[in-house]
This record gives sequence, C-alpha cells and structure tokens, in this order.
Amino acid sequence: MPSFIHKPRRKVVLLAAGALGLVVLGALSASVVLLSGAYSTAATTQHFKITHRLLDAGLRFSVRSHASGVKVPDLAREGMLERGAACYRMHCVQCHGAPGVARHPAGRGMLPIASSLAQSAREWPPEWLYYVTRKGVRMSGMPAWEFRIADEDLWSTVAFLTRLPFMTHQDYLDLHAESADFSCRAPTEMRHDALHGDVKVVFRQYACHACHRIEGIVGPKSRVGPPLVDWPRRKYVAGVLPNTEENLIRFIRDPQGVSPHSLMPKLDVGEVHARQMARYLLASE
Amino acid sequence: MSEARLQSVLHAAPGSGAELLSELGIVLYVGAAVTFVGVIALVLHATFTRRLRASTRAWVVGGGIVFPAITLFLLLNYSIAVGSAVSAIDSGSALRLLLDCFGIDSKARIPPPAPGALRIHVVGKQWWWDVRYEVRRGDTNSIVLANELRVPVDEPVELLLSSSDVIHSFWVPSLAGKVDMIPGRTNRLVIRTSEPGVYRGQCAEYCGGQHALMALYVIAQSRADFETWLERQAQSVEAPQDALLRSGYDAFFKGRCPECHAVRGTPANGVGGPDLTHVGSRHSLAAGTLRNHIGTLAGWIAGPQDIKPGNAMPDSEEYTGRELRALSVWLESLE
Amino acid sequence: MRALSSVVAFAFVACAHEGGYEPVVSGGDAKRGRQAIAELECGACHQIPGVPGAWGRVGPPLAEYRHNVYIAGKHPNVPDVLVRFVRDAPSLAPDTAMPAIEMSDTQARDVAAYLYSLE
Repeated sequence: MPSFIHKPRRKVVLLAAGALGLVVLGALSASVVLLSGAYSTAATTQHFKITHRLLDAGLRFSVRSHASGVKVPDLAREGMLERGAACYRMHCVQCHGAPGVARHPAGRGMLPIASSLAQSAREWPPEWLYYVTRKGVRMSGMPAWEFRIADEDLWSTVAFLTRLPFMTHQDYLDLHAESADFSCRAPTEMRHDALHGDVKVVFRQYACHACHRIEGIVGPKSRVGPPLVDWPRRKYVAGVLPNTEENLIRFIRDPQGVSPHSLMPKLDVGEVHARQMARYLLASE
Repeated sequence: MSEARLQSVLHAAPGSGAELLSELGIVLYVGAAVTFVGVIALVLHATFTRRLRASTRAWVVGGGIVFPAITLFLLLNYSIAVGSAVSAIDSGSALRLLLDCFGIDSKARIPPPAPGALRIHVVGKQWWWDVRYEVRRGDTNSIVLANELRVPVDEPVELLLSSSDVIHSFWVPSLAGKVDMIPGRTNRLVIRTSEPGVYRGQCAEYCGGQHALMALYVIAQSRADFETWLERQAQSVEAPQDALLRSGYDAFFKGRCPECHAVRGTPANGVGGPDLTHVGSRHSLAAGTLRNHIGTLAGWIAGPQDIKPGNAMPDSEEYTGRELRALSVWLESLE
Repeated sequence: MRALSSVVAFAFVACAHEGGYEPVVSGGDAKRGRQAIAELECGACHQIPGVPGAWGRVGPPLAEYRHNVYIAGKHPNVPDVLVRFVRDAPSLAPDTAMPAIEMSDTQARDVAAYLYSLE
C-alpha cells in the first residue's frame, strides 16, 4: 500500500478518539449538571446576557422564517380596531400592560418578561405580530391564541397592535371604553392549515394532556384522568355512556351533564373540535 | 370437592366410567412395564451368556406367538368390556362396530332409552354447549340450558352428543373418557357417579380460536335435589314487578339480546345463543370461562369480545351504566 | 433511539421522584388482594397487571393505580374512598356501569391494598 495512507492514519485515529472523548465528556458534564439540580429554574434568577441575546435572536429568526407566507389583510376595516381593543382588554393587557397601564402581578413575575407591545408593534411587521399571537412562544408564558380567538379577530388584535405605539394613555382609555360593546370572538371552525393532519394540536390547546395521557401526544405522565390510549376498544365513556362518537362528544363538551360531580372541567370545546378529538380517539390503535 | 380433583383423569369419581378407565390404564401400564422388564432381561441374558440353555424355537414360538396371543386376547376382551361398561360404545358384536366405522347401519347404534332413564341432548357449538333434557319422549324444548348438566347420583344418565358446526369432543375426565361430537352424527355416552359434587369438563377436540375456553360443569346431586332443580328449570319466567328488575327486563328488550337468546315465558325466543331462562342459577358464564355473579355478568354483556375474542356475541355498545347494571341484576335473578 | 431516550428519561425521572402522598390501607394485604381480584374476576371488566386473564376493557385499565389522582373521575383517590368504591361503586357514582360486588370488608381492603401496590 502507498505510504501516504499509512502515515496520517495514526493522527486520524487520535483525532477521532479526541473528538469522541470530548463528546463523552460533554455528555457526562451535562448529566452531572442535570442530575445534581445545580441549574436554577427559578424565575427570579437572571439569564446570562449572552443566553438572553441568543434566545431573543433565535425567536426573531424563527418568527421571520415561519411568518414569511402570511398574507396581511386590510387592517383598516370598520370595527377592527374596537374588536382588537376588546381582545387586548380580555387577553393581553394582563401580561403585556398598555400605555400608562400596569400589567397584573402575574405578568410581572415572569421570565422571560412579556414585551411591551408598543415597542414590539413599532419594530415588528404585522405578519410577525399575527404569527406570535396565533402560535404563541414555547417555554415563555405566551400562549397560542389560535384556538381561543377567531382568525378575523386575531387580525383585529394585530390592527389594534399596529396602532398601539401611537396611543397616549387617554387614547388607550377611550378605545378601551369603546370596545365595551364589542366581543372577542371564538373560532367557529377549524382552520384548514391548522389541521395539516395534526389533530393532536387540538388536544394540546384544550390542555387535555394536563390530565390525560393521550395516544401520540408528548406531555406529562398525567394520572388525573384515565389514559386515552387504546381507546377504540373501551366500552364506556366516563363509566356511564357507551363509547360512541356522539357520546364522546357529549361528554367532552359537557362533563357534568353526563357525569354529575365529575372533576373534568367544562372547557367550552367547540363542536367541531370535539368531533375531531372523538374521531382521533376512536381511530387510534 | 377441591378444585384439583374436580377435573382430573387421575381422580376418577367413585362409581363412574372414569374409574374403569383408570383401572384399565393401570393394568396396561403395569402389564407393559412387567413385559418390558422381562424382555430386556431376556435380551441381556441372550447377550451375555455363551451357551443357549433352551431351544431357540421354544422361545420364539412361546414368547413371540403364544404369549402375545394370550395376553392380547385377554386385553382385547377386557378393553371391550370396559368400553361397553363405560357405554361409550354399544355392547354387541365387533362386526357391528366395524360396520359403524364405515358409516353403515349407524342407526342401530342408538338403542331406545331404558324406561325412566334420564336422557340429555348435548350439542357442541363454537364455543358453548347447548343442553336439552328429554323429559318426555321426543320433547327437547321444555328444558333448555347451556354449559351445565345436573344429574342425579347413582343413576345412569344417557348423553346424546352432536355438533351443529365443527367437531367438538365431550370430556369430563373425572367421569368418563372423551367422546367426539360430530356434525351430522349422534354419539352416545352414559355417565354415572355415586358421589355428589361438581365435575368440570372441557372440549377435547380443537374447534377454533376459543377452544381453550369451552368448558362445562356436570353437577351430581341427590335425587331429591335433582328433582327440585329440574322442576325449576321447567318453569318459565314472568315479567318482573320490582322497579329495578323491570328496568333490567326493559333493557334486555331494548337491546339486541332477543335476537339470539331465549327466555321462556317472555317474548324472547332467539336461537343462536344459549338459553337464558335460568342463567342466574348456573355455575359459570361463557362456557366455564367466568364465575357467575353480577360483576362478571355485566363484564360479559358489555365486552364479550375482550374475554373470548371472535365468539358470536358482539360487544353490546348500547347500554348506559345504569342499564347495564339493571340488566345484570335481572338476569342474575333468573334462577 | 427512541428506546434509548426512554431509558435515559426514565432514569432521570426515577432519580428525581421523592416524597409525595403514600396511600396506606389499614388492614389490607396486597398479596391477598391479588388473590381476591382473581377470585372475584374483576378482570372481566378491567386490565389489571399481575392478574392473569384480566383483559376487560369495560372499565379503565388499573395499571399504575397508585398514582391515579381520582376515583371514577369524581373522588380523591384515598384509601377510605377506594375501599368503599370497590365494594359499592354505585353509592359513590350513581350512573356507573360498575355494579356493587358482594365481598367482605377484608376482601375490599385487600383489593385496595393490591391496587395501591401497582406502581
């Protein structure tokens, strides 16, 4: 064999061993940090600056990439501003505050802190605002509003947000008063693109997995309610009604109506969502 | 009687055919062992001696023809006698037996019942036993039950065995040997025992997916107890007055149960499944698969496909929790 | 890969689990309870680990019962309630499909003890 193959071979082996050693060392250190509990999960402890910068930048890059296909409708239509103000009043001001309006105590103790939307709306294009409002931000306190607010009113909220940087305290209060006659509407039908074959997001957005272990869904090992696994072969819903699609929908939408004193809360599940969930469970194996 | 003895070839019930079979077995094992030892001894002797002591011819004729001829002839007579005593086969000529093997003149196999002898028709189905008592000549519809036989002690009871789908085999090891239940044919078995008790039997011919869960109970009782039981079995059911029982009764008719099950005295007269007229008094459910109480009954009604997958009874899928309980209570009351 | 991550995750969780509520059934023996469950044939309706033939799907599976937060979705899962429920479910859940099953108080305690042994 030619000599140039033999000579660097030792170096390659050493390098490979060194790299592997580093990987192992890294994994071990990570395990030690994790298992010892040395990493602080307290919301009162700051991130390192570099960590914060990276997370922040990461959020922007991700939102930019995922919001690129969003088409912004006309935000100046009649009533949008007032509806957006209603949504803001009901769902946003608690954590984000408003011009001259403090956020609730809940919004003050968070890490990461909810941004002042007057600034976000000034710096971010409407598509980004829509995307974050709709999809939420994982591992922060920002929920996804897609399943709580109808799409038109997500845009109404965005319309409101685009005006927010230019409001004085009085402007805000006036709009707040005008919004009293408007409501922030819940969705009446599933968005087609939200489905994408993934009905599981419906379960997660109603927090079902906070109490139940559900086939195909990643979540805590919940034992508050029975496991929703191997569901097609189960015979009863809540031990009371035969396991059919209609009975399952009935129970999901009105637990106490089916089983008085049931500890499963009424979650105002829309009929469409309930049907999707029922079909998912009855088709799972 | 303890569980271990209730279904065991090694623990034949006193006065039963199984006892005779046990004895036959012992004779065969012991006889074969003795013969085997003897033959091995001769082989060893032949291998290690230098001179033959006796003439070869004597040994060959004596040991190879005379000895087997005598012993096998004795055994043949003995086993035919046992078979006849067990009444699995008809006593009578070997020729008739031979012809019967070829399906010739098979009608002659079933003699008319002795006057007063109890005759029970058992039809094997996938995967349960349809049991009909012939209390009057030709009448097999008055006393119908499933998965259980009750017999008086010290009396021969004639069983007429057949099948409506595939080959099954009736086997209550503590009482008798196996007798096949063949579609299109009726086989006869006479059982008896002198000891009251509960005897468990099983299907002994593979008959499909739930063959392993096709069992039955034969309960031997004193004549008096048996008479009481038989009288009760002949009675029909009346619609109940009690509110809970009534709601169970209504649930039965609201659902699909009457399509396959009969409850004499009510409008239910389905034929595909076991008769339920006195289901509450049975020793087991689902052909010996479950004990019989309100819990197992509810479980069986709601989910038979989980207990015996593939069996003919579908999951009910139509009773609310309350209805299921009420239905179980009503059925349990049918004793 | 999935198996490996499950093993790793389990190791972390198992090491992290400490303290919390420990249900104890006074007068109940888990071993006898398993026997009682087999005799009463609770398996006709429930899947129960450690009990042969318990394949039923009429009621919920009873695996890891110790960790269940509620009984029949209505009552906190504590020994006093469970012992009563096992024997007379309709008294605690009037519309339930689970009937009242005849058993002695000791049997009920034993059954509850066995269920609480299911991790």
